[in-house]
Amino acid sequence: MQAAEAAKAAGADYADGRVVAEESESITVRNQQMEGIDRSNSEGIGIRVLVNGYWGFAATARLGPEEIERTAGLAVEIARAASRLPMEPIRLADADPATGTWHSPMQEDPFNVPLEEKVALLMEATHRMQGVHGLAFAEGGIDLFRRRTSLATTEGTGIEQTTVHSGAGIEAVALGEGELQRRSFPNSFRGHVAARGWEHVQKLGLIEEAERTATEAVELLSAKECPTDVTTLVIDSGQLELQIHESIGHPVELDRVLGMEEAYAGSSFVKPTDRGKLRYASDLVSITADATLAGGLGSFGWDDEGVPAQRVPIIADGIFQDFVSSRETASVLGIPSSGAMRADGWQHLPLIRMTNISIEPREGSLADIVGDTKDGIFMATNSSWSIDDKRVNFQFGCEIAWRIKGGKLTEMYRNPNYTGITTEFWRSCDAVGGREDWTLWGTPNCGKGQPGQVARVGHGAAPARFRNVQVGVRG
Amino acid sequence: MPGIVGPDEVRRISHEALDIPGVDGVEVLFMHEWGGLTRFAASSIHQSTWREDTGLRVRVVTGGRVGVAATNDFSPRGARRAAESAREMAGVVAPDPLFPGLAPADPIEDTMRFDEATADATPEVRAAGVAELVATCPDRFAAAGAYETMASEVAVANTEGQFCWAPSTQASVTTVIGGDDGGSGFAETFATSMDELDPRAIGRRAADKAAASQRPHDLEPGRCPVVLEPSAVSTLVGLLAWIGFGGRTLAEGRSCLSGKEGQRVTAPSITVFDDATSPGTLGLPFDFEGVRRSHVDLIADGVFLDGVYDLRTAKQAGKTSTGHALPPPNPEGPFPLNLFMVPGDASLDEMVAATDRGLLITRFHYSNIVHPVESTITGMTRDGTFLIEGGEVARPVKNLRFTQSILEALTDTSMIGRETELASEFFFSASRVPALKVESFNFSGSSDH
Repeated sequence: MQAAEAAKAAGADYADGRVVAEESESITVRNQQMEGIDRSNSEGIGIRVLVNGYWGFAATARLGPEEIERTAGLAVEIARAASRLPMEPIRLADADPATGTWHSPMQEDPFNVPLEEKVALLMEATHRMQGVHGLAFAEGGIDLFRRRTSLATTEGTGIEQTTVHSGAGIEAVALGEGELQRRSFPNSFRGHVAARGWEHVQKLGLIEEAERTATEAVELLSAKECPTDVTTLVIDSGQLELQIHESIGHPVELDRVLGMEEAYAGSSFVKPTDRGKLRYASDLVSITADATLAGGLGSFGWDDEGVPAQRVPIIADGIFQDFVSSRETASVLGIPSSGAMRADGWQHLPLIRMTNISIEPREGSLADIVGDTKDGIFMATNSSWSIDDKRVNFQFGCEIAWRIKGGKLTEMYRNPNYTGITTEFWRSCDAVGGREDWTLWGTPNCGKGQPGQVARVGHGAAPARFRNVQVGVRG
Repeated sequence: MPGIVGPDEVRRISHEALDIPGVDGVEVLFMHEWGGLTRFAASSIHQSTWREDTGLRVRVVTGGRVGVAATNDFSPRGARRAAESAREMAGVVAPDPLFPGLAPADPIEDTMRFDEATADATPEVRAAGVAELVATCPDRFAAAGAYETMASEVAVANTEGQFCWAPSTQASVTTVIGGDDGGSGFAETFATSMDELDPRAIGRRAADKAAASQRPHDLEPGRCPVVLEPSAVSTLVGLLAWIGFGGRTLAEGRSCLSGKEGQRVTAPSITVFDDATSPGTLGLPFDFEGVRRSHVDLIADGVFLDGVYDLRTAKQAGKTSTGHALPPPNPEGPFPLNLFMVPGDASLDEMVAATDRGLLITRFHYSNIVHPVESTITGMTRDGTFLIEGGEVARPVKNLRFTQSILEALTDTSMIGRETELASEFFFSASRVPALKVESFNFSGSSDH
């Protein structure tokens, strides 16, 4: 509260002060050897001010009263300097002042679990992977994160939140002549992270799935290359997660739509006038941004503007409904904020970030979708991603694929990938799996903004099927 | 405004960690960073920020066991706590048979890359720079981008007696200028001092490109010759570094260059090296474990020579560290952060004139690795893609997706630009590279803008 008051005294029309304390722990094991074990702590304050309709922001790790007052004054100075280039003054959509506390769900604090237990889990999982003949590298990792945030604003908001994220995964690498094949479990890029405690890691089944994961990596070395074709594509929920992230989550961020990210990550093909009109996807596709989902990396009590967590329809039965927004961007459209402003630590200005942007489950399991497919390709587990600056043309690589023939998985393929145009692809969706194969995944590494920020976001996804997709792109 | 902490204070605080009992060795990596970034869009300043942070990363070794703890509590108490936490972690892990020991004492001279005016730059100074740039925008065009001034100091201290410290500054201007009719242009510049920036020139360059990019035409993807401007070349070099030059990936057979030492891997005209202390880049004189950064020839006249090493991978490979360690624990191994490609003798105009039909590419966007061993990557063109016909730039075209092997592109390189620029698609490093003419480049898709 001192920060907000100091900024007000320095001339701010609006101010918020956000004290954030973060701690993390990371363990990596490769081939029964410790590759890294480290802990990090970081604490500081970010002060955001609005002066005559211009933003200013300053942040420091020095939390003494004099330093906070100096930083608040600097934020005001920054805002005043911004007025050198006139623009329509920023207005904030109305939001009621919020007070209270919030904590992500957790049964067992992962930071209290003995290090020996964590290391032993990874040692055993990698030991089992190494038992598979032909495997070059067996790697496992655990990542833990805790963030405590206190937010106070000149409008009367005063909230405290604590988030704990736990994640783990294993990765098997096989090397052949000119080939490197990789299989991951439960997902690529260090596994599955959730806003849960140690109980989440214990349920992942890293040891139980180790041998299968390693076996598939070795088998991929002798598998055929994924053919080049236009065919029916079935993707698993782990890959659909990233497909949602890149081709729906980012394009519906209202700051991108309004050109505020133009120079760096890019803008969006979606326009403000598309609300309620654009046929984004087939009737089967409904997407929600839900910050209230238990266990999601994009879950919270309030965003970093003090706007309450919400469940917002993004796409309903294929028709685009609404953006994820902030108080500033929402006011441009004359709508309430969707509550999606979040900052990476104390050092950064809050930006619009995805919450938990998920596809709503329909019916059937992955096996049902495959069983209902006469001919096509099933791809699993993301390995590569790329999409253009307006989120139109994308290309994704996966770790593994199989030919589907007569409703059954047959031949294995290596180096599978697919490419498409966002709306054409989503409009071709003719099957979305049900709750039984729907997973709330975590993406803890979403980059955006200048200076660069990393957000921790969630995506609920089920397996899905798409028609007439270009697969097997070659260099 | 904050200033430099300085070597004496770093030594004083580090001592609290270095002095921890019951261990064989301790290393303290100190990083202090401060500065501002003024961000603009629609030709107005919409996000303007300033930040300062100080961090300590403490690595403790006991019986070959290694633990790492980091904190931004830059105080004797913070340093001590981090060391104790690292010691606790080291106590529960198995010894690392490849642990090479800490860096030996080696006095390393500062590269003198600190400019006081840049470190002290005010928001008014940055706003004035942005205003200069925006003033170059013609009617019906708008500028977006960022003007950043940063200062930092990095130090490494360890129980072997090594202590090195270096302050530095960096200033940059980046812009994308877009017009009403669908095209855009891009320009950027990095320097040690903000005095070296010319926002007006950057604005003019992007505006000219944006004007030439209006009303882009459709173009069918396929293979064709390309002229790649330095920003596009930096993507190829940066990703080649990621998958190719690290000593660990090389030793483990994961690199596209593993086992190819002494072999021709590109056209004979291609030479790539890493040199953090060269005046053409923004590097530090030592790496993050306190080893002097060496000049490393990576590809010379088309022949791959060797990669870069930190202490651990050097021990693994039976070599000497080249001074390319990243902050610990870093399971990925060493990485070259200051790459150069040696320029040739062609101008950009000469490359275009030598192209009967092909594309002129300003830069790539969101590039990523498709097949690391084949050095195949994919990405999109952005902010200025032009069809070349009959040796002249004929018209702008909509953005295209490429899927292409980096080493094949560098093998098919027929002309090399005589000017170089410091450029990067990625946040982690910038490369000083020239423009290239590549005779065959694979475009696998297209977009609508």
